Amino acid sequence: MWFLRINMKDRTHQLTEVPEKYKKLAGRSLTSNLIADEVPPLAHPLGPNNKLVFSPGFVTGTSAPSSSRISVGGKSPLTGGIKESNAGTPWAWKLGRMRIKALIVEGQPEDKGEFWGLVIGLDKETGQPTLEWFDATEFTGQDAYDVYPMVFKKFEGRRVSVCGIGMASEHAYGNAGVIFEDMSQNPSRFAGRGGLGSVMGSKGLKFILLDDAGAPGVEIADKELFDEGRKKLAAALNEHAITKPKGGLNTYGTAVLVNILNEAGGLPTRNFSRGRFENAAKIAGEAIFDGVKERLGEERYNHACSPGCIIRCSNTWYRKDKSEHVSCVEYESDWAFGANLEIDDLDTISELVKLCNGYGLDTIETGVTLGVAMEAGVLPFGDGEAAIEMVHKMGKGEPIGRILGSGTGTAGKILGVVRTPAVKGQGMPAYEPRAVKGIGITYATSTMGADHTAGYTIAPEILAVMDDLDPLSKEGKIALSRAFQATTAFIDTSGHCLFIAFAILDIASGYQGMIDEVNGVLGTKWTADDILELGTEVLRVERKFNEAAGIGKQADRIPEFMHTEPLPPHNVVFEIDEETLDKVYGEL
Amino acid sequence: MIVIDTWLYGELASYAGEDAQPGFAQLKIELPDGATMQDLLDEIDLPTELRGITFINGNLSAMPGKQHDLTQELKDQDRVALFHLRSMWPYQYRQGAAMLDSFNDEIQKDGDRGIHHAFNG
Repeated sequence: MWFLRINMKDRTHQLTEVPEKYKKLAGRSLTSNLIADEVPPLAHPLGPNNKLVFSPGFVTGTSAPSSSRISVGGKSPLTGGIKESNAGTPWAWKLGRMRIKALIVEGQPEDKGEFWGLVIGLDKETGQPTLEWFDATEFTGQDAYDVYPMVFKKFEGRRVSVCGIGMASEHAYGNAGVIFEDMSQNPSRFAGRGGLGSVMGSKGLKFILLDDAGAPGVEIADKELFDEGRKKLAAALNEHAITKPKGGLNTYGTAVLVNILNEAGGLPTRNFSRGRFENAAKIAGEAIFDGVKERLGEERYNHACSPGCIIRCSNTWYRKDKSEHVSCVEYESDWAFGANLEIDDLDTISELVKLCNGYGLDTIETGVTLGVAMEAGVLPFGDGEAAIEMVHKMGKGEPIGRILGSGTGTAGKILGVVRTPAVKGQGMPAYEPRAVKGIGITYATSTMGADHTAGYTIAPEILAVMDDLDPLSKEGKIALSRAFQATTAFIDTSGHCLFIAFAILDIASGYQGMIDEVNGVLGTKWTADDILELGTEVLRVERKFNEAAGIGKQADRIPEFMHTEPLPPHNVVFEIDEETLDKVYGEL
Repeated sequence: MIVIDTWLYGELASYAGEDAQPGFAQLKIELPDGATMQDLLDEIDLPTELRGITFINGNLSAMPGKQHDLTQELKDQDRVALFHLRSMWPYQYRQGAAMLDSFNDEIQKDGDRGIHHAFNG
């Protein structure tokens, strides 16, 4: 296993064995520990002292189901704190198979106009990673959907996977993701949140290509245990109503949640001013499935974003002429451009998603920021054409586009909008904290800023942390949020997609299977308690970094308007007080 | 008579016949005063076991395996939403959301406090 360090000041590199301290870390636990150990907390996120770390999870690159995730870490230009953002992509699978445990990008070139591409391969004799550089300047200033085919063409005949950045990162936006290829070589899989694409851009690095020819694959300490775990997890995923073939996610995608949250009164609408959108059913996952069936004349179930996925939740929207418009329209993207902007047309929403992919923008941050801009009167609510035009302005770096590209928190300040739905500067995802109180606690306290993936429920064992607390009491919600955040940090470390949580929560053997897989790879004997502790330690490391960066408990707050403006239809406010919120990390 | 604003999602939209739109249907169902959820399901010929997550006026009233809302009396202009069995609402996105008291009481009897996707009766 390798640590590969790239210094972009002079494009030199250093290859070392994995230091002992980091051997039992991977994915998020490794990116966050490396950032905490090596990046000064007060470093400028776009300066030479920030680093960008890529790390596959423990089981990424193996035959473990739904596990091709890559964690990307750095100090965030959006939040100013530590950031881990992850994506499912063939690129992750290859990095794992090449036994590169951490790819650490450091320094930056003195000439700001430089953009480079890097190809990482393997030496046929020694098996060690090799590096080739190419001038990538010619690929800048263009749509990723145009650029990616050119890159694949340039390396035709080689088994390359592409990680890159778009124009948003070239403009150094707080809203700029790292773009990975999907299974069809499209630039559609994003480590989207927190502006890490701009960290990559600040280092003059446009592409990282992986050529895994001759890759040895992941070393597995106990093959028998690993296989046992893999089979248990696969069985759970194949059995559960949400994750099985033709189940909830494979049929309707993540946008299956649109109608549910809408009925619950928790679907943020018109820049978080209401909890229900009257036309939500027209843009929901069910409408996407039926709409595709109508346009193509046949049912289409969803596909995998990365190798080895059983869940296969990625949908595709098609135009009226049956040509592919975009993949995929996730719940968050659908909502951000739909209910949040009062747009009820799937063609418009799909176009906005595609533009974000092409420019390298995070769809959540873009949609939430557009909502704030609509609130400010920059463009009207419900105006799809105006929204499309504004995203073009963002991508092309026009002045108003640069303001919106800075992210929700900053744009809200510049535009003077009180109703700015952001925590730690990061735009809030698609679950209204006033209507769904539990997620509000996680939004407020997560080390990542408002993040809907920071606190998943993965096992009933978690209830043990609550003793006899009522999960709906304030104390119960605090204990659960803390445990959810810790166990989620472990899943993000294991390399699995968070969506395995739906199955392993209900099917105990699946949960054990995930643990067995990890123990099989590492040769450890970790238990459920160890997992909770490992995840908790990740949170401690991240929290310590944030506090040293000036982001302490005062930043663990839900925006003031959510405490004072009742949200229809239930007409409720977020009433969890500050003292209670402080207990989440105060008692970590 | 009372009128119930009834929403059917996914494959349940087929129970609305010609009124179905892609992915959903909205029906105004007339029922006698005092009608219950069971009466509504009977009126649209929807077997209760085919529905999963259910809302009455934005309050969660049923999930797969827990359908104690069958005797719930409906009021004029109530909004009732009936979801298909492939729908989902993960616990982290529903913890603290509004639900009928009767449903919450049932959940509290469950050993795992309602964190699961479905219940075994």
